[in-house]
Amino acid sequence: MLRHLFKLIWNKKGTHSLLIIEVWAAFMVLFGVLTLIVFNLRNYLQPIGFQYEQVWNLELSSNQDTTELAQKLQRAIQRVRSYPQVTAASRMSSNTPFSANQIGNSVTYNKVNVGADFYYTDSDLTKVLDIPLKKGRWYVESDRTGKYVPIVINQVMEDKLFQNESGLNKVVKRDEKTSYKVVGIVDKFKGKGLFMSDNPALFQILDKDDRWNSNILIKTKPGTDANFEARLVKDMATMLPGWGVEVGYLKDSRKNRENLTLVPVLIFLIVSGFLLTNVALGLFGVLNLNIAKRKGEIGLRRAMGATESGVTSQFLGEIWVLATFSLIIGLIFAVQFPLMNVFDLDKEIYIIAILAAVAVIYIIVTLCAWFPSKQAASIHPAVALHEE
Amino acid sequence: MLTNYIKIAWKVLLRHPFYTFITLFGITLTLTVLMVVTSFLDHLFGAHYPEAKRARSLYIASVIQTDSANTTMSSGPASFDFLTKYVKTLKSAERVAIMSNFSFSNAYSNGKRIKLNTKYTDIDFWSVTDFEFLEGKPYDETNIRNADHVAVITDALREQYFGQETKSVVGKTIDIENINFRVIGVVKGSPPTRVYTYSDVYFPYTAPKSNYEGKGIRGRFVAIVLARKSADLPAIQAEFDGHVARIPRSEYSDNNHFNVLVVKADTYFDHFLSMFTRSDKDRIALYGIVGLVLLMIMGLPAVNLVNVNVSRILERASEIGVRKAFGAPSKALLWQFIIENIFITFIGGAFALLLTFAIIHFINSSGWIAYADLTINLPVFLTSILVCLVFGLLSGVLPAVRMSRLKIAEALKV
Repeated sequence: MLRHLFKLIWNKKGTHSLLIIEVWAAFMVLFGVLTLIVFNLRNYLQPIGFQYEQVWNLELSSNQDTTELAQKLQRAIQRVRSYPQVTAASRMSSNTPFSANQIGNSVTYNKVNVGADFYYTDSDLTKVLDIPLKKGRWYVESDRTGKYVPIVINQVMEDKLFQNESGLNKVVKRDEKTSYKVVGIVDKFKGKGLFMSDNPALFQILDKDDRWNSNILIKTKPGTDANFEARLVKDMATMLPGWGVEVGYLKDSRKNRENLTLVPVLIFLIVSGFLLTNVALGLFGVLNLNIAKRKGEIGLRRAMGATESGVTSQFLGEIWVLATFSLIIGLIFAVQFPLMNVFDLDKEIYIIAILAAVAVIYIIVTLCAWFPSKQAASIHPAVALHEE
Repeated sequence: MLTNYIKIAWKVLLRHPFYTFITLFGITLTLTVLMVVTSFLDHLFGAHYPEAKRARSLYIASVIQTDSANTTMSSGPASFDFLTKYVKTLKSAERVAIMSNFSFSNAYSNGKRIKLNTKYTDIDFWSVTDFEFLEGKPYDETNIRNADHVAVITDALREQYFGQETKSVVGKTIDIENINFRVIGVVKGSPPTRVYTYSDVYFPYTAPKSNYEGKGIRGRFVAIVLARKSADLPAIQAEFDGHVARIPRSEYSDNNHFNVLVVKADTYFDHFLSMFTRSDKDRIALYGIVGLVLLMIMGLPAVNLVNVNVSRILERASEIGVRKAFGAPSKALLWQFIIENIFITFIGGAFALLLTFAIIHFINSSGWIAYADLTINLPVFLTSILVCLVFGLLSGVLPAVRMSRLKIAEALKV
């Protein structure tokens, strides 16, 4: 049966080559778009790992002021904590959740080197962002006195750095001078929003006299409004003359951040949706014409006793063989991506995208061939043969 | 004769509405995508309000400190000091404007927060850009010298902060981070996609918190160099490169961390590209990917169009046979097919134009981009129509011509 179908297609290779090119191109477009979607969807389905609804980000910048920065920052956070509207406040490095800033570095344990996003915070961050601890505890002020700098890492970091061991209380090396001790492990921390992949993250306690990291995350009580915000900014501006004071809501910056991913994906989705509709319509038209041309053949087969479903399945079989041809060519291109590790994506993403693209192509060609072949097969043999 | 052909074409189109629809859908889709994309690119890179002189402007917005082995790198905007020393002194330039990169602030009006973009500029900023002043005037030399607390705001901020009233706001004060600034002018706002000129409020660079006194090479300022005419640009670039080459290493090495300094005066497009691509290799890769995506978007409908046309050509065999039997020359048949194709391409083009107008209008009014001013680029429209025509002619006319050379009897038999 299959050989027969191949022969039928091979006999008309001229007209079919165009169809093969079309299906191949559709597959490539679909593969590209699905890779993009699968990548983002997989990230999206992972929980973000912290709460941000009531959290504000107070950004202070010292500008030309260079005196007693550490003390001034200490005073500022104490003042912030003293407001009744504030449940908790924590200092943080400039890479606050959903910001565009990134701080990357790497640590070594047993010759395994892992790069991670570094977040410099104080002991209250877990309260402000409600990050649940999986193992161990969050670092506290008294940890500063120890020999090693206390850090908290996330699950991915533990898996990568310690392979199968538990990372709790292990000492890891950053460089010749600094070593860290892992005091706690959190599950996930996707600081750039839901669409970020679950990357290794490391939280390190701020130095006691730190003067560079001047962001303050503030968790406010529900119902706190802009009036409090205005007061906060005014108080800070009087307390720190010459400094820049800016307040942002994390839930606003999250929306901006995620739109940066969502908008391009949506545009690609819409454009490729139209492209595929176009291809499907064209395929339907071409198959309709091709099958209509073979009415005589259908009539003959029906007269010789072929059933309606037998004729339909012959046409469907033909288009499947044709689609398989194009998909094999397409796969030769597509498998290069996971093999050569293009764009450093997980192999699984490419494989899911390829499988999904193959499935969609088969569905499209089946739908496009189904209606014309059904219609052709239902013609009465006498009518079909009469035309001839 | 022409009307006759068009009449025939119209009848042919109506004979199989479904196939006509497929063809039109393909042409319309391709043209619409192409036009919306180019209109957006034009919005990003073309010369528009308030940077209408982009064609003769150079942007100096990033300073890269690195070492010859490329192991460490640090980059960002320049300091005011650096720009005054090495850019303001360019002799071949007509004017040089210095402005701070974007920064944010908040103002509060009646318990409501207004998020602000702020910018510190020198006075040349107002002559290099073409801001339209709705009220008042820009700050001048005296304001800069006295470090006056004055500000130029946009019409959007005027409405948000002072309310809808139409009375003049010049002379009123606006409280930003506890400092009272006197409003000295109101300009028509610009889209945030023009990052170097976009802001809600503009201050003279001597106003508080601008950090213009900062020493060193890096800071938060960028410069736009305006040439007298666009032909002068290479000369200015050469002069600037000369200035940069003379900077002593001690100024940028940061305790011998870096030994290479890269600062370029680029046109806006080159500058934008260089943000994403560090080397020529990256640039080729980027062009490659963009080209491939475009090829796919354009190629798929084209293959589709060819496919449908080629499949349908047999339909016309008997028609060609009959016409030839009645003595029509091949030339007449050729013209008929050409006009038919031009006709359908133009209908598709008209739909695409309407659709693009609708999409652009939607983008402009949706508020995704404040002050968006997307327009339809006519040259691009004409080029893409031409491309569609070529494909239409290749796929529709060539097989038809071949068929018109058939013997009458054979054509009639098919």
